[in-house]
Amino acid sequence: MAEEGKENKAEEAKKIVHTYPLIRHSDMAEEMRTEVMELVATACEKFANSNEAAAKMIKEEMDKKFGPPFHVVVGEGFGFEISYECTNLLYMFFGGNLAICVWKC
Amino acid sequence: MPPATALASKANKQSISKTALAGKKRPTKVNTEITDDLEEWKRSKQLLKPKDQLELADFELKESIPKLLTTTNPQIPDSLVEFNYAQGKFLLLQSAGNTVVVYESLGTLVPKDSQEARQQLIEQGIDPAELEISDSHSEAEIISEDLKPEEETQPEDATEDGKEEEEGQKDDDEETEKKTEKPEEEGEGEGEEAEGEVKAAAKPPAKGGRARKLTNQFNFSERAALTYNNPTRAQETQTIPPPMANFSANVLQWVIYDAYQQDYEAQQLEKELERERKEKDKAPVGKVKVAKKSSGRAQLSEAVQGKMLECWKVLERMVNQNTYDDIAKDYRYWDDPSDEFREEEGTLLPLWKFSYDKTKKNTVTDIDWNPYYYDLFAVCFGFLDFMKPIAQGAVCLFTLKNPSFPDYICMTESAVMCVDIHPKYPYMVVVGLYDGSILIFNVHATCKYPAFRSNNVTNKHRGIVWEVKWAPDLPDGELNFFSVAADGKINNWVLMQNDLAVTTITTLFLVKEPVPGPDGTVLRAIGCASCVKLHPKNPIIYLVGTEEGLIYKCSTQYSSMYLLTYQAHQMPVYRIDFNRYNTDIFISCSGDWRIKVWEDNRMEPLFVFDVGDRVGDVKWAPYSSTVFAAVTMEGKVYVFDLNVNKYKPICIQAVVSRRRNKLTRISFNPKLPIIIVGDDKGCITTLKLSPNLRIPCKAPKKQQHLDQWTLQCMKLDKLLSLVREPVTLTLPEDTAGSEES
Repeated sequence: MAEEGKENKAEEAKKIVHTYPLIRHSDMAEEMRTEVMELVATACEKFANSNEAAAKMIKEEMDKKFGPPFHVVVGEGFGFEISYECTNLLYMFFGGNLAICVWKC
Repeated sequence: MPPATALASKANKQSISKTALAGKKRPTKVNTEITDDLEEWKRSKQLLKPKDQLELADFELKESIPKLLTTTNPQIPDSLVEFNYAQGKFLLLQSAGNTVVVYESLGTLVPKDSQEARQQLIEQGIDPAELEISDSHSEAEIISEDLKPEEETQPEDATEDGKEEEEGQKDDDEETEKKTEKPEEEGEGEGEEAEGEVKAAAKPPAKGGRARKLTNQFNFSERAALTYNNPTRAQETQTIPPPMANFSANVLQWVIYDAYQQDYEAQQLEKELERERKEKDKAPVGKVKVAKKSSGRAQLSEAVQGKMLECWKVLERMVNQNTYDDIAKDYRYWDDPSDEFREEEGTLLPLWKFSYDKTKKNTVTDIDWNPYYYDLFAVCFGFLDFMKPIAQGAVCLFTLKNPSFPDYICMTESAVMCVDIHPKYPYMVVVGLYDGSILIFNVHATCKYPAFRSNNVTNKHRGIVWEVKWAPDLPDGELNFFSVAADGKINNWVLMQNDLAVTTITTLFLVKEPVPGPDGTVLRAIGCASCVKLHPKNPIIYLVGTEEGLIYKCSTQYSSMYLLTYQAHQMPVYRIDFNRYNTDIFISCSGDWRIKVWEDNRMEPLFVFDVGDRVGDVKWAPYSSTVFAAVTMEGKVYVFDLNVNKYKPICIQAVVSRRRNKLTRISFNPKLPIIIVGDDKGCITTLKLSPNLRIPCKAPKKQQHLDQWTLQCMKLDKLLSLVREPVTLTLPEDTAGSEES
């Protein structure tokens, strides 16, 4: 029993939820990537309970900053297969349970 | 009919004026009768009256005055006459009648059958006669209002007209046909203009006179012009589409979690690596750092290469292990069985031989075991036969696990004469060169170039650097070492962050009269230092052997004097070594064939051994307080155990060919029962000590609890007490005070 308890403790210790922005895939330029990452973090923090609003904000900001046809997906679970304009893709995780995909096409 | 005007009879006019007059008084009356309310409302108002209004009494007002209106104007004169001078009599004028013109306005309407109307019609090209016939039913029709009926009738008119004209003017010339396409000029009854009509008649339907539209504000013509449209042409071009790519992924909660875990672990690992690197960087400062700052990709490939290298190293060692399997077994298990029957004598078993192709011509000038990795040792390749200089040198680090090739090779531009490995940082290797410069390699980082090197001009020795020795670290952790060279200087070098700082501790001036120079200058003779040894316990004390055969006991605190001077040898002192167990005891060897064992502060040696040739090196054994080994130039290794035999070595063995090779250096492995000897052909031979050469101390029965260290010390002390001269004889005077330089 004691051993089991130890194991459980170890498991619990392991389950730290990380919330920092984690870029999974991106072919953006370094500067752009950091900028977008910050934007995504801001948007997702601002609209923590509305992914739609967050996505809208990201999209509009991106359109403003980098030129219009941007698409943004914010969600906890989805699959996608997209065509994007090269050097304009960012796929990242944020907040431990959100995936954000930003691309231009 | 005359133009319609508003006419009023005289009678009418009179009646109107009369009613107007009467109207001035009446309204009030009528109104009072009609309604009282109005009367009341009026009464409040002040009626404006003309000033000259007659004041009438009531009855006067009520009096009715009858007026009779007739059509006859009584005032009209009925017989107006006028004098006519032509006839010379009065003529009766016609009565003007009752008509009075009050207002007169001329209209634009014209009676249809008037002369004026006819004229208009002709101008428009309409035959008034025809019009009259066809439109007799509507006589009052006005031309300007109705054009359509005319148009309809026009063709008929034209044909009729044409026929008449044709009869009348057939002989008219026909050359003008073409000019008269427009039938508008066609005039009724005007023969001159009618010549065009001939043609018109010939083609009646086509040339039918078309009525010109009479334009006015109610009937206007619209005009429009259509310009040409520019021809359009389609032209297209296509740009290269921006590069596109596809990307797909699936997001699930566990995917996100796993990704975070993975990244976190990677971060932790990175942190650890960073910390390790920092620790490493602490010691090997200097140029290595700069070299490490390569780009990320290069670093990665370096890392991959490093891994590959690691694999190859393991493989190489495996191959070597197979190749030298018997040697490895000998090393591990073989103990000379004959030792049991030979009391007090032992043998040396040759094991691996190490050499490096590029340094086969070089002499092994120094060998030193790594203090941390007991299987690793550094070998200096230089030369000692100064008649045949060799330009290049090298420091190689060999491991016993790989006898075929050195693990680390640091090539140098000049022959390497000495080496020392830092006891705490086993990758810091300091070497002294033939040209007097000093190099410090961080073999862990790179062997290609030194982490530090002395400046070739300003801070170098002016002679062969004969020995370098790491000193204990300075209080703030900086590494430092001592070097001695043939220029008689003993330098202390400190490894700063980016810099190698040097301090000359002392210069070995000989105790001699200054030698007069050729031009009157006086030179003090300088001794050539050939070896140095730091006191193991007292770091400020060190011993320096010179080529004059003296051994100076010096302190780093005093730069101008020696604590003691031993008149040790007649030839250059090659090496000095302190006993591991009793640091008062040290040993020296020299080119005068002798090995001498000394005690501190005793001017005479305790033991003197003559071995019949120049002694290249002598070392105390780490495992015993009374065992030491020496190599001679004739290729023999001597092992002494003073406890066993105070006069003869317990082992003499020729390791290399006497004629071809000379042995130069020897070193005991600090842990294993093996020694390495270097020769002048760039070859290092490993020798295993037979059991008789490494007999541990047996504890006396009464003192079983004592450990080996104490026993060894006791053994040495017992031995020393036998050989020490009685103290009463001559107390050696302390020359530290008297010795001046």
